Amino acid sequence: MDRRIVITGIGVVTPIGIGCEQFWTNLLEGRSGIAPVKTFDTSAYNVHRGAEVKEFDAEEYVLNLDAAHLGRASQFAIAAARLALADAGVEIGSLDRKRAGVSMGTTSGEPREVERFDDAYVSKNLDRIGPEFIQLYPCHVIAAHVASELNFAGVNTMIPTACAAGNYAIAHALDVMRAGRADLMLAGGSDAFSRITFTGFARLGAVAPEICQPFDRFRKGMIPGEGAGVLVLEPFDRARRRGARIYAEVGGYGLSCDAHHMTAAHPEGAGAERAMRHALADSCTNPEDVSYISAHGTGTPTNDRLETIAVKRLFKDEAYRIPISSIKSMIGHTMGAASAIEAAVCALAVFSNRVPPTMNLNEPDPECDLDYVANTARELPVNVAMNNAYAFGGNNASLILRKGELLN
Amino acid sequence: MSTDEIRANVKRSIAKITSISFDEIPDHASYKDDLQLDSLTILEIAVDAEYQFQVKLSDDDLGEIRTVDDTVRMVQQYLTPVAA
Amino acid sequence: MIGNRVVITGAGVVSPLGDSPAHLHDSLCRGISAIKPIKLFSTAGLGCPLGGEISDFDATKYLGQRNLRPLDRTSRLVASAAQLALDNAGWSIEMRNDQEVGLVLGTMFCSVHTISEFDRRALEAGPAYASPMDFSNTVINAAAGQTAIVHNLREVNTTISTGVTSGLEAISYATELIRSGRARALLAGGADELCFESFYGFDRAGLLCRSDNSAGDFPIPFDRRRNGSALGEGAALLMLEDVALARARGAKILGEVVGHGSSYDCSRGRESGQSIDAIDSAVRQAMNDAFLLPHEIDCLSASANGSQTGDRHEAEGVRAALNGQTHKLPVTAIKSMLGETLGASGPMQAVALLETMCHGVLPGIPQLDEVEQDFPFEMARSENQEVDVVNGLINSIGFDGHCCSLILSRAEA
Repeated sequence: MDRRIVITGIGVVTPIGIGCEQFWTNLLEGRSGIAPVKTFDTSAYNVHRGAEVKEFDAEEYVLNLDAAHLGRASQFAIAAARLALADAGVEIGSLDRKRAGVSMGTTSGEPREVERFDDAYVSKNLDRIGPEFIQLYPCHVIAAHVASELNFAGVNTMIPTACAAGNYAIAHALDVMRAGRADLMLAGGSDAFSRITFTGFARLGAVAPEICQPFDRFRKGMIPGEGAGVLVLEPFDRARRRGARIYAEVGGYGLSCDAHHMTAAHPEGAGAERAMRHALADSCTNPEDVSYISAHGTGTPTNDRLETIAVKRLFKDEAYRIPISSIKSMIGHTMGAASAIEAAVCALAVFSNRVPPTMNLNEPDPECDLDYVANTARELPVNVAMNNAYAFGGNNASLILRKGELLN
Repeated sequence: MSTDEIRANVKRSIAKITSISFDEIPDHASYKDDLQLDSLTILEIAVDAEYQFQVKLSDDDLGEIRTVDDTVRMVQQYLTPVAA
Repeated sequence: MIGNRVVITGAGVVSPLGDSPAHLHDSLCRGISAIKPIKLFSTAGLGCPLGGEISDFDATKYLGQRNLRPLDRTSRLVASAAQLALDNAGWSIEMRNDQEVGLVLGTMFCSVHTISEFDRRALEAGPAYASPMDFSNTVINAAAGQTAIVHNLREVNTTISTGVTSGLEAISYATELIRSGRARALLAGGADELCFESFYGFDRAGLLCRSDNSAGDFPIPFDRRRNGSALGEGAALLMLEDVALARARGAKILGEVVGHGSSYDCSRGRESGQSIDAIDSAVRQAMNDAFLLPHEIDCLSASANGSQTGDRHEAEGVRAALNGQTHKLPVTAIKSMLGETLGASGPMQAVALLETMCHGVLPGIPQLDEVEQDFPFEMARSENQEVDVVNGLINSIGFDGHCCSLILSRAEA
């Protein structure tokens, strides 16, 4: 059984582009997807900006199911899945459907369905909510809809570990494939813009009024967003035999739990450090081998400071050498999709030897004194990329993607 | 509304949210030092006070609340109509 | 199966039929039904007034007098079951300082009730008055996160949400982590609470039984008269460890996880052929994983919950997977008494099965009287059966596509 699992396809639906090529180009150019929120009226809030996906036509991607009967997160997930499979050059009909699986992450599932329920409840019109509620709302429908659309009858898992969910889902897909339980896995995350999520983060005072400025001295918070990222994972031998383009190998991962507080990270970044440490050990990577880190970097004063502390504690002097960037500076925080899109970025970085910038980094913070690739993308050899993600509930996950022996 | 009435309401909020008995909450308690509350709980108490009194504190004001006295003072400030 | 052997050293359960494995099994063997008129919320205007509610659930009984306000009902169920499982397995706080314990939790909704309450307050009073504390419980991994804080569980912490199969999938996920050496000790299982929001959804979808008769008449899995399931609630967690760790600390071994399998029915329950095929696939994978042949499966704890089509699909799927050898297979369906507890269901079945392995009694399916023609399970009975179970098969099958099978083996004497 081939334990080397590689990424052969990438599909993304993001606030700065749909599809790998458009997204990557815009990312390297530092384009922003942050704008006034259109999904609902924000006049009752103190903050009004978000990172929404623009010009998304579900009908373009949902070909077997009825797009009108799917929640937005499911639509995103299907779109990203189809884009990833096309990018990988996979003929869906040629697959053994019982050995093709889906592993997805999310924070909110299909929040608009429960919001519709609540609207009806509050206006005493609950009769408006029919049998479709239970078919459309529970979060497992995202992975289920992807599989139903593509006729994938294998492993089907939903891991709703909030803002780290994408990494968890990709890690699980890696394990499923290494155990020989699938020949191909679609792995990633999806979340739709959510009134509930926006309200919650606004109430916590965590939302920035204008822009997202990870690691900047005057950063004011995160910007809620939406999107999806899906990777195609295959065994290396199989990918090579069919002449597939290989972006990177999934080298390994590390998970940890702070067990400290529901919404605040451990005050010394201990959980974050443990997840990174496990990921290095799992992939047999030395700190000096890491070429690039895709940060969780939400732009909140606390996260960015603690993340920096954790990186320094683990990497010591190497921390000052490794470029670290946060794409949330451009696409906001896409919740369960975030670490999946960021994993795609790591795969692209490994493949193209370029890393995206952290935008809006104007004033360095003395407590965040590492190299955050401020404002301009950079070319450099990227052999090993680390993708970090931290979530409510203290769920931490780090993923390692690498070129490694694939160079040969 | 008198200061005492506001304080009693705030203490009732604290009791409801933290399960600390009303009678064991000192009138001038510091949330962190006397009651060992974390920032999320402190925010919850402040928001509950806003809700009970139907006032809206600014984010800056919320960030300044550290004691029962702070909460009472903020509520009073927003409850008092501005002189013409 | 490849890798470390995964054994079960303890179990914790919070259910309407008991808060210990022995009490739960005893209730099931007495045919006691948890299905009764719901008191937790009003069912006025709904088709089904019944559910398997845990009356007067008080988490302080298990967690002591501490501030539980930050925890909602689902989190309290999980944290309580975790305390019971840790105690049952002999994992003291001191021991957890030396060896980390983790948690893999399966849940279909976590708390849709908390999510809705948070949203509704913001709608009615304005977003400025939304509750920050409730917001932290609106994420679906909240219960797992809260439980980790209560019990200092800093090892792997994952939430799995695959509908009805969530809990069994969580046990499968945890099993793989221990087999591969990523973790050594994990609480694994599931939970879901009874609440108006999810209950409404199931009722409107026509999935719940219609009974105006006295509580307890329905649901009747496999019976020809079945007309739907009843929703229940609860939490059940197994303590899973690699066998070397369990032996080194002198733990009592209750059983072993020897095989698991998963598949997905792309028709989402709408095409019988595909549904049956998906169940067949999951069961076969579990048997292959366990290196067992059909005749070596000694009993089945079915997922059947009174669903017209679901129960039949399961019967046919298992018959196919066991190459037709189901006539002598003792079968139980404990959702007949607990109701459909969603994320908790598979783990509750596991807890009950371990007791069956220990005591040799398989609970009957109350009221089971008439079955369809050519029904595969001759040994699905209304009365209890004496059984000698070395290998037991557990199914979790969702009404909308997910299928998961688990095989447990009895502890060696």
